[in-house]
Amino acid sequence: MAAQTDIFTLWDLPLRASAELVGFAASLSERYRGRLQEFGFHAGEEICCQQQPGFGAPRVFRVSNATYSLDQDLAKQVLVRPIGGSQGA
Amino acid sequence: MPNVLLVGTPNSGKTALFNRLTGLNQRVANYPGITVDLSVGRLAKLPHLDLVDFPGTYSLRPISEEERVAVGHFDASMGDPTVQQVLCVVDATRLEKSLFFCLQVVRACQHQGRPVTVVANMGDILTRHRLSLDTEGLSEALGVPVLLVSARTGEGLDSIIARLESPQMAAVVQAPQAGGGVLASEGGPADNALYAEARRLAEQYGAPSDVLLQAQSRLDHFFLGSLSGGLTFSIIMLILFQSIFTWSAPVMDAVEAGVIGLGSWLLPYLSEGVFRDFVADAIFSGIGAFLVFVPQIFVLTFVIGLLEDSGYLARAALICHRPLRFFGLSGKSFIPMLSGVACAIPAIYAARSIESPRARRLTYLAIPLMPCSARLPVYTLLIAIFIPRETALWGLVGWQGLTLFTIYLFGMFAGLVIAGLVNRLTPAEDQMPFMMELPGYRMPALVPIARRSVQRAKHFVTKAGAVILSVTIVIWVLGYFPNQGTDLGGSWLGMVGQWIEPIFQPLGLDWRYGVAIVSAFLAREVFVGTLGTIMGIEGAEDNILPLVEQIQANALPLGSGLALLVFFAIALQCVSTVAILAREAHSWRLAIRMVVAYLCLAWIAAWLTFQVTAWFQ
Repeated sequence: MAAQTDIFTLWDLPLRASAELVGFAASLSERYRGRLQEFGFHAGEEICCQQQPGFGAPRVFRVSNATYSLDQDLAKQVLVRPIGGSQGA
Repeated sequence: MPNVLLVGTPNSGKTALFNRLTGLNQRVANYPGITVDLSVGRLAKLPHLDLVDFPGTYSLRPISEEERVAVGHFDASMGDPTVQQVLCVVDATRLEKSLFFCLQVVRACQHQGRPVTVVANMGDILTRHRLSLDTEGLSEALGVPVLLVSARTGEGLDSIIARLESPQMAAVVQAPQAGGGVLASEGGPADNALYAEARRLAEQYGAPSDVLLQAQSRLDHFFLGSLSGGLTFSIIMLILFQSIFTWSAPVMDAVEAGVIGLGSWLLPYLSEGVFRDFVADAIFSGIGAFLVFVPQIFVLTFVIGLLEDSGYLARAALICHRPLRFFGLSGKSFIPMLSGVACAIPAIYAARSIESPRARRLTYLAIPLMPCSARLPVYTLLIAIFIPRETALWGLVGWQGLTLFTIYLFGMFAGLVIAGLVNRLTPAEDQMPFMMELPGYRMPALVPIARRSVQRAKHFVTKAGAVILSVTIVIWVLGYFPNQGTDLGGSWLGMVGQWIEPIFQPLGLDWRYGVAIVSAFLAREVFVGTLGTIMGIEGAEDNILPLVEQIQANALPLGSGLALLVFFAIALQCVSTVAILAREAHSWRLAIRMVVAYLCLAWIAAWLTFQVTAWFQ
């Protein structure tokens, strides 16, 4: 298990970096947690940040075989840790 | 009648398949959430069966309005004896995502003893990239038939028909070989197990999707880039509005010449009198003035169709999310608002896909201010009167198109400002987060888009045309009698017009424009037909003149023209839109308040425009 300090939020994942999903913030409602899981956001899943459009626009993440766009509020409630040498911001 | 259900995840191509199998022409597009209600059609090759198209949903646990529609009806259908088969559509290029929902459906059907067939759509994309799907293996693992098809090319559709015709259709499905016993909407560990199962099946039997995702990522890099994304978005929107004028101008000229030519040819054969005056004034001047704008409706629908089918609109929603959020809206509001440029009614339905009730209500407020196609004839007419038909950049950019773009921007900006004001003035609610699946890019299918555009233009002619014809006849009778068209001011219409004239006089508009505005409350397009009829009665010429020339000859002041543009940009005059608003928002009070508020605002803004223009002149 990675140290607590290795864990950062999905919003902080640099462009083109990948990370492993650890879990969700306790503040995330069950409804959205469920929908993210239906999208494939599961603990242990590899997530890649594919696009970071400017001006605070939602970012694009690849999970498994699909891409999703999440805004800052939501991406900040998804917790990840680095894999394969990727570093969080 | 026995029926077959068509269910699946958003953007898996259900409606395209529905259209192929029924021969109908329901709206399709390449972004999630386009189908928001059930559609029913008879299968073209099996007319004893009805096909029911459901809105897409990611799971049997809904979070948005259209998902609630889908899941509610699906649950009810499980107990319906007329349901003979469930067709669960999956995206063959994104199998893992689709299989999560598919497994829920298969389990639910098994639970109720309903036959189910998995239809793996988008087989043409797999073929193009030399990829394959192990349908036999997947079928064996799921315990139900799996058919690979392409709704786009029609490939494999016969296998669906054969399956629906087969005597085994009514047989209860076999138990699956793996993962049995996990039910649909339990959530938690049950969902995890279902997802793990979906993943295992996708990895074992599905096509590797890296090739497709890499191509998509390269395009996203450009379309979502900080600089290139914003610039491309602006250029695409500018082209959309330029195309309405630039591309449709030759056809509009041809229609206008055709109407005038037909009138000039026919009228000499008719003997002098009431009937001839009616044909000249009401039919050729009234209806003819409206028909000229049909090519623009076609071009507008066609260009929006290209954008919808390409997969770009989901990216545009993403780009717009942050600025829209400032006004209390969501990036998902962008798609209904852009749909509102064609027509407010489907736009109001499309707002169902917005999960946040507050953002949805604010979107309802903004949609009626989107410059819908019914406003287009009014805008085009007024622009043609005041703006010269000159172009720049080798004909690509015209002043008329730029003016239209500005008017459209005004309508959109007004919608945003009103949504923003209401958002600030009403108690705050929790903002719901933005999450959206990004569909793959694809070349738009030109033929279905052209077919849909023709259908929209036809609908515009038949639906608005029926209202316009009725209003035109009434207006003509009121304007022609009792003095046989010799004195319009002394006609019955003139009397009514002079009674309402004080309302419009502060805008610099005489009673003729007042009558045309009032008649436009049935449908905005009626304005053009009514004005055409009034000018036709008034014109002493035997020749039928284009309406633009007649208004120019009457010297409508610039301030009044601008005031009219502003009035039409804001006023909520469409009866159908009001009815749909009331139904979707579950509130007649909201709909009536919106009508009154937008009318008052329209008049005040038009008056200010007239006064400011007069001050500058």
